[in-house]
Amino acid sequence: MILTALANSSQHGYGIITDVQEISGGRVRLRPGTLYTALDRLRTDELIEVDREEIVDGRLRRYYRLTPTGTKRLGVEATRLQTHATAALTRLRLAGGTAI
Amino acid sequence: MTDRANLERGYRRLLAWYPSAFRRENGEELLTVLMSCAPESQRRPGIAASVDLIRSGLWMRLRPTVPRAARTVRAAVRLMYAGAAVTTLSLIGTIISLPFIGHKAAGLRLFGDSQPGAVAITLGIVSGVILIALWLWMARANGQGRNWARILSTVLFGLATLHLFGNKDVVQLVFVVATWLVGLAAVWLLWRPSSNAFFKPRGFTQAGHVADSSLRSN
Repeated sequence: MILTALANSSQHGYGIITDVQEISGGRVRLRPGTLYTALDRLRTDELIEVDREEIVDGRLRRYYRLTPTGTKRLGVEATRLQTHATAALTRLRLAGGTAI
Repeated sequence: MTDRANLERGYRRLLAWYPSAFRRENGEELLTVLMSCAPESQRRPGIAASVDLIRSGLWMRLRPTVPRAARTVRAAVRLMYAGAAVTTLSLIGTIISLPFIGHKAAGLRLFGDSQPGAVAITLGIVSGVILIALWLWMARANGQGRNWARILSTVLFGLATLHLFGNKDVVQLVFVVATWLVGLAAVWLLWRPSSNAFFKPRGFTQAGHVADSSLRSN
Protein backbone atom coordinates (compact mmCIF):
# COMPACT_ATOMS: atom_id res chain seq x y z
CA MET A 1 0.00 0.00 0.00
CA ILE A 2 2.96 2.30 0.64
CA LEU A 3 4.21 1.58 -2.88
CA THR A 4 0.73 2.44 -4.21
CA ALA A 5 0.84 5.75 -2.31
CA LEU A 6 4.09 6.56 -4.11
CA ALA A 7 2.92 5.33 -7.53
CA ASN A 8 2.28 8.68 -9.22
CA SER A 9 4.28 11.15 -7.16
CA SER A 10 6.80 11.43 -4.37
CA GLN A 11 5.41 11.79 -0.84
CA HIS A 12 6.69 12.64 2.63
CA GLY A 13 5.97 10.45 5.67
CA TYR A 14 2.79 12.16 6.83
CA GLY A 15 1.56 12.31 3.21
CA ILE A 16 2.01 8.54 2.91
CA ILE A 17 0.01 7.96 6.12
CA THR A 18 -2.93 10.08 4.93
CA ASP A 19 -2.75 8.63 1.41
CA VAL A 20 -2.75 5.02 2.65
CA GLN A 21 -5.76 5.85 4.81
CA GLU A 22 -7.55 7.29 1.79
CA ILE A 23 -6.61 4.37 -0.52
CA SER A 24 -7.88 1.86 2.03
CA GLY A 25 -11.12 3.72 2.58
CA GLY A 26 -10.11 4.50 6.17
CA ARG A 27 -9.46 0.85 7.10
CA VAL A 28 -5.67 1.20 7.38
CA ARG A 29 -4.12 3.90 9.51
CA LEU A 30 -0.36 3.48 9.62
CA ARG A 31 1.36 4.50 12.79
CA PRO A 32 4.60 6.50 12.31
CA GLY A 33 6.82 3.83 13.91
CA THR A 34 5.36 1.12 11.70
CA LEU A 35 5.66 3.36 8.63
CA TYR A 36 9.35 4.01 9.16
CA THR A 37 10.07 0.32 9.77
CA ALA A 38 8.42 -0.39 6.41
CA LEU A 39 10.21 2.50 4.68
CA ASP A 40 13.54 1.22 5.99
CA ARG A 41 12.83 -2.25 4.59
CA LEU A 42 11.70 -0.84 1.23
CA ARG A 43 14.86 1.27 1.01
CA THR A 44 17.06 -1.71 1.88
CA ASP A 45 15.33 -3.68 -0.87
CA GLU A 46 15.87 -0.70 -3.21
CA LEU A 47 12.17 -0.40 -4.01
CA ILE A 48 12.03 3.25 -2.91
CA GLU A 49 14.55 6.07 -2.59
CA VAL A 50 14.75 9.59 -1.23
CA ASP A 51 13.51 12.13 -3.77
CA ARG A 52 14.24 15.37 -1.93
CA GLU A 53 14.22 17.05 1.47
CA GLU A 54 12.46 20.20 2.58
CA ILE A 55 12.36 22.20 5.78
CA VAL A 56 8.80 23.28 6.59
CA ASP A 57 8.20 25.36 9.75
CA GLY A 58 11.68 24.37 10.94
CA ARG A 59 10.94 20.65 10.57
CA LEU A 60 12.52 18.17 8.18
CA ARG A 61 10.34 16.62 5.51
CA ARG A 62 11.85 13.88 3.38
CA TYR A 63 10.08 12.87 0.19
CA TYR A 64 10.24 9.32 -1.11
CA ARG A 65 9.67 7.98 -4.61
CA LEU A 66 9.59 4.59 -6.28
CA THR A 67 12.77 3.27 -7.88
CA PRO A 68 12.48 1.53 -11.28
CA THR A 69 12.60 -1.79 -9.36
CA GLY A 70 9.81 -0.57 -7.05
CA THR A 71 7.66 0.50 -10.02
CA LYS A 72 8.16 -2.92 -11.60
CA ARG A 73 7.36 -4.73 -8.32
CA LEU A 74 4.18 -2.69 -7.82
CA GLY A 75 3.10 -3.47 -11.41
CA VAL A 76 3.68 -7.20 -10.90
CA GLU A 77 1.77 -7.21 -7.58
CA ALA A 78 -1.10 -5.17 -9.01
CA THR A 79 -1.40 -7.54 -11.99
CA ARG A 80 -1.34 -10.55 -9.67
CA LEU A 81 -4.09 -9.09 -7.48
CA GLN A 82 -6.12 -8.14 -10.54
CA THR A 83 -5.81 -11.70 -11.88
CA HIS A 84 -7.00 -13.12 -8.54
CA ALA A 85 -9.90 -10.66 -8.35
CA THR A 86 -10.94 -11.44 -11.93
CA ALA A 87 -10.81 -15.18 -11.22
CA ALA A 88 -12.89 -14.75 -8.06
CA LEU A 89 -15.53 -12.61 -9.80
CA THR A 90 -15.71 -15.00 -12.79
CA ARG A 91 -16.26 -18.01 -10.52
CA LEU A 92 -18.88 -16.18 -8.49
CA ARG A 93 -20.66 -15.27 -11.71
CA LEU A 94 -20.52 -18.93 -12.88
CA ALA A 95 -21.86 -20.04 -9.50
CA GLY A 96 -24.76 -17.63 -9.86
CA GLY A 97 -23.51 -15.40 -7.07
CA THR A 98 -24.68 -11.87 -6.66
CA ALA A 99 -21.31 -10.21 -6.17
CA ILE A 100 -21.43 -8.42 -9.54
CA MET B 1 6.86 24.62 28.81
CA THR B 2 4.04 24.48 26.22
CA ASP B 3 1.94 21.38 25.49
CA ARG B 4 3.63 20.90 22.10
CA ALA B 5 7.10 21.17 23.64
CA ASN B 6 6.09 18.60 26.26
CA LEU B 7 4.80 16.29 23.58
CA GLU B 8 7.95 16.65 21.50
CA ARG B 9 10.11 15.90 24.53
CA GLY B 10 8.05 12.76 25.17
CA TYR B 11 8.48 11.59 21.60
CA ARG B 12 12.23 12.29 21.71
CA ARG B 13 12.47 10.08 24.80
CA LEU B 14 10.67 7.27 22.98
CA LEU B 15 12.99 7.62 19.97
CA ALA B 16 15.80 6.48 22.27
CA TRP B 17 14.50 2.93 21.65
CA TYR B 18 15.82 3.22 18.09
CA PRO B 19 19.45 2.58 17.19
CA SER B 20 21.55 5.76 17.13
CA ALA B 21 22.35 5.39 13.41
CA PHE B 22 18.63 5.34 12.62
CA ARG B 23 17.98 8.35 14.89
CA ARG B 24 20.74 10.33 13.21
CA GLU B 25 19.35 9.56 9.76
CA ASN B 26 15.58 9.53 10.37
CA GLY B 27 14.96 10.86 13.88
CA GLU B 28 14.00 14.44 12.98
CA GLU B 29 11.91 13.26 10.05
CA LEU B 30 10.04 10.73 12.19
CA LEU B 31 9.51 13.40 14.83
CA THR B 32 7.97 15.66 12.17
CA VAL B 33 5.49 12.91 11.26
CA LEU B 34 4.71 12.17 14.91
CA MET B 35 4.00 15.84 15.62
CA SER B 36 1.90 16.15 12.43
CA CYS B 37 -0.21 13.13 13.48
CA ALA B 38 -0.85 14.51 16.99
CA PRO B 39 -3.88 16.76 17.66
CA GLU B 40 -3.07 20.31 18.80
CA SER B 41 -4.40 19.59 22.29
CA GLN B 42 -2.22 16.51 22.88
CA ARG B 43 0.26 16.97 25.71
CA ARG B 44 2.07 13.65 25.86
CA PRO B 45 2.53 10.56 23.66
CA GLY B 46 -0.45 8.18 23.74
CA ILE B 47 -0.16 4.56 24.81
CA ALA B 48 -0.70 3.13 21.31
CA ALA B 49 1.88 5.49 19.78
CA SER B 50 4.35 4.70 22.57
CA VAL B 51 3.93 0.94 22.10
CA ASP B 52 4.35 1.38 18.33
CA LEU B 53 7.58 3.37 18.75
CA ILE B 54 9.05 0.97 21.33
CA ARG B 55 8.17 -2.08 19.22
CA SER B 56 9.49 -0.49 16.01
CA GLY B 57 12.63 0.78 17.76
CA LEU B 58 13.43 -2.68 19.12
CA TRP B 59 12.79 -4.21 15.72
CA MET B 60 15.13 -1.68 14.08
CA ARG B 61 17.83 -2.77 16.52
CA LEU B 62 17.35 -6.48 15.76
CA ARG B 63 16.34 -6.42 12.12
CA PRO B 64 18.51 -8.04 9.47
CA THR B 65 19.65 -5.41 6.97
CA VAL B 66 20.12 -7.86 4.16
CA PRO B 67 18.72 -6.71 0.81
CA ARG B 68 16.36 -9.05 -1.01
CA ALA B 69 19.04 -9.47 -3.70
CA ALA B 70 21.37 -11.28 -1.25
CA ARG B 71 19.04 -14.28 -0.95
CA THR B 72 21.61 -16.74 0.40
CA VAL B 73 22.66 -14.40 3.22
CA ARG B 74 19.01 -13.74 4.11
CA ALA B 75 18.41 -17.49 4.29
CA ALA B 76 21.53 -17.98 6.44
CA VAL B 77 20.43 -15.23 8.84
CA ARG B 78 16.96 -16.78 9.12
CA LEU B 79 18.51 -20.16 9.87
CA MET B 80 20.58 -18.59 12.63
CA TYR B 81 17.46 -17.09 14.20
CA ALA B 82 15.87 -20.54 13.87
CA GLY B 83 18.93 -22.01 15.63
CA ALA B 84 18.44 -19.52 18.47
CA ALA B 85 14.75 -20.45 18.69
CA VAL B 86 15.45 -24.21 18.76
CA THR B 87 18.14 -23.74 21.41
CA THR B 88 15.77 -21.62 23.51
CA LEU B 89 12.98 -24.19 23.26
CA SER B 90 15.37 -27.01 24.12
CA LEU B 91 16.68 -25.15 27.16
CA ILE B 92 13.18 -24.27 28.37
CA GLY B 93 12.03 -27.85 27.77
CA THR B 94 14.87 -29.29 29.80
CA ILE B 95 14.37 -26.82 32.66
CA ILE B 96 10.64 -27.62 32.77
CA SER B 97 11.34 -31.36 32.74
CA LEU B 98 13.90 -31.11 35.58
CA PRO B 99 11.54 -32.36 38.32
CA PHE B 100 10.47 -35.32 36.18
CA ILE B 101 13.75 -36.63 34.82
CA GLY B 102 15.84 -36.02 37.94
CA HIS B 103 19.00 -34.02 38.48
CA LYS B 104 21.34 -36.68 37.17
CA ALA B 105 19.54 -37.08 33.83
CA ALA B 106 19.06 -33.31 33.53
CA GLY B 107 22.72 -32.75 34.26
CA LEU B 108 23.68 -35.26 31.59
CA ARG B 109 21.31 -33.68 29.11
CA LEU B 110 22.55 -30.16 29.77
CA PHE B 111 26.26 -30.65 30.24
CA GLY B 112 27.27 -34.29 29.79
CA ASP B 113 28.32 -36.56 32.64
CA SER B 114 31.63 -34.88 33.48
CA GLN B 115 30.19 -32.90 36.40
CA PRO B 116 27.96 -33.66 39.41
CA GLY B 117 24.22 -33.12 38.71
CA ALA B 118 23.65 -29.67 40.29
CA VAL B 119 26.87 -28.20 38.83
CA ALA B 120 26.07 -29.66 35.42
CA ILE B 121 22.60 -28.11 35.49
CA THR B 122 23.98 -24.66 36.35
CA LEU B 123 26.73 -24.92 33.73
CA GLY B 124 24.22 -26.26 31.22
CA ILE B 125 21.81 -23.35 31.70
CA VAL B 126 24.63 -20.78 31.52
CA SER B 127 26.12 -22.39 28.40
CA GLY B 128 22.62 -22.62 26.87
CA VAL B 129 22.08 -18.88 27.36
CA ILE B 130 25.55 -18.18 25.90
CA LEU B 131 24.69 -20.41 22.93
CA ILE B 132 21.45 -18.49 22.29
CA ALA B 133 23.35 -15.19 22.53
CA LEU B 134 25.93 -16.48 20.04
CA TRP B 135 23.23 -17.48 17.53
CA LEU B 136 21.61 -14.04 17.81
CA TRP B 137 24.92 -12.20 17.67
CA MET B 138 26.05 -14.10 14.58
CA ALA B 139 22.67 -13.61 12.89
CA ARG B 140 22.82 -9.87 13.51
CA ALA B 141 26.47 -9.39 12.53
CA ASN B 142 26.20 -11.52 9.39
CA GLY B 143 23.00 -9.68 8.50
CA GLN B 144 25.00 -6.45 8.65
CA GLY B 145 27.55 -7.85 6.19
CA ARG B 146 30.44 -8.17 8.65
CA ASN B 147 33.02 -10.50 7.12
CA TRP B 148 34.56 -11.28 10.53
CA ALA B 149 31.17 -12.64 11.57
CA ARG B 150 31.16 -15.00 8.60
CA ILE B 151 34.60 -16.30 9.63
CA LEU B 152 33.66 -16.51 13.33
CA SER B 153 30.43 -18.35 12.46
CA THR B 154 32.49 -20.93 10.60
CA VAL B 155 34.89 -21.33 13.54
CA LEU B 156 31.98 -21.73 15.96
CA PHE B 157 30.45 -24.30 13.65
CA GLY B 158 33.76 -26.19 13.75
CA LEU B 159 33.61 -26.18 17.57
CA ALA B 160 30.00 -27.36 17.42
CA THR B 161 31.15 -30.26 15.24
CA LEU B 162 33.54 -31.36 18.01
CA HIS B 163 30.57 -31.25 20.42
CA LEU B 164 28.83 -33.91 18.31
CA PHE B 165 31.03 -36.54 19.89
CA GLY B 166 30.81 -37.58 23.53
CA ASN B 167 28.30 -39.11 25.93
CA LYS B 168 24.72 -37.92 25.34
CA ASP B 169 21.22 -39.18 25.94
CA VAL B 170 18.86 -39.57 22.97
CA VAL B 171 17.06 -36.23 23.49
CA GLN B 172 20.33 -34.34 23.70
CA LEU B 173 21.73 -36.17 20.67
CA VAL B 174 18.65 -35.24 18.57
CA PHE B 175 18.95 -31.59 19.65
CA VAL B 176 22.72 -31.42 19.01
CA VAL B 177 22.41 -33.02 15.56
CA ALA B 178 19.43 -30.79 14.64
CA THR B 179 21.23 -27.57 15.59
CA TRP B 180 24.43 -28.83 13.93
CA LEU B 181 22.51 -29.34 10.68
CA VAL B 182 21.07 -25.82 10.97
CA GLY B 183 24.61 -24.52 11.49
CA LEU B 184 25.91 -26.52 8.53
CA ALA B 185 23.24 -25.10 6.23
CA ALA B 186 23.87 -21.55 7.48
CA VAL B 187 27.66 -21.78 7.00
CA TRP B 188 27.20 -23.34 3.56
CA LEU B 189 24.91 -20.45 2.55
CA LEU B 190 27.31 -17.83 3.95
CA TRP B 191 30.12 -19.09 1.71
CA ARG B 192 28.06 -19.44 -1.48
CA PRO B 193 29.48 -17.32 -4.33
CA SER B 194 26.25 -15.24 -4.33
CA SER B 195 26.91 -14.24 -0.69
CA ASN B 196 30.38 -12.86 -1.41
CA ALA B 197 29.22 -9.53 -2.82
CA PHE B 198 27.35 -8.76 0.41
CA PHE B 199 30.44 -9.32 2.56
CA LYS B 200 32.83 -7.28 0.41
CA PRO B 201 34.05 -4.00 1.94
CA ARG B 202 31.76 -1.22 0.80
CA GLY B 203 30.48 2.23 1.63
CA PHE B 204 27.36 2.88 3.66
CA THR B 205 24.96 5.63 2.72
CA GLN B 206 22.70 5.90 5.72
CA ALA B 207 21.55 3.83 8.67
CA GLY B 208 23.21 0.70 7.42
CA HIS B 209 21.78 0.90 3.92
CA VAL B 210 24.09 -0.79 1.53
CA ALA B 211 25.39 1.31 -1.29
CA ASP B 212 26.95 -1.57 -3.18
CA SER B 213 25.57 -1.67 -6.68
CA SER B 214 27.05 -5.12 -7.28
CA LEU B 215 24.16 -6.61 -5.28
CA ARG B 216 21.71 -5.40 -7.85
CA SER B 217 23.18 -7.73 -10.43
CA ASN B 218 22.56 -10.83 -8.28
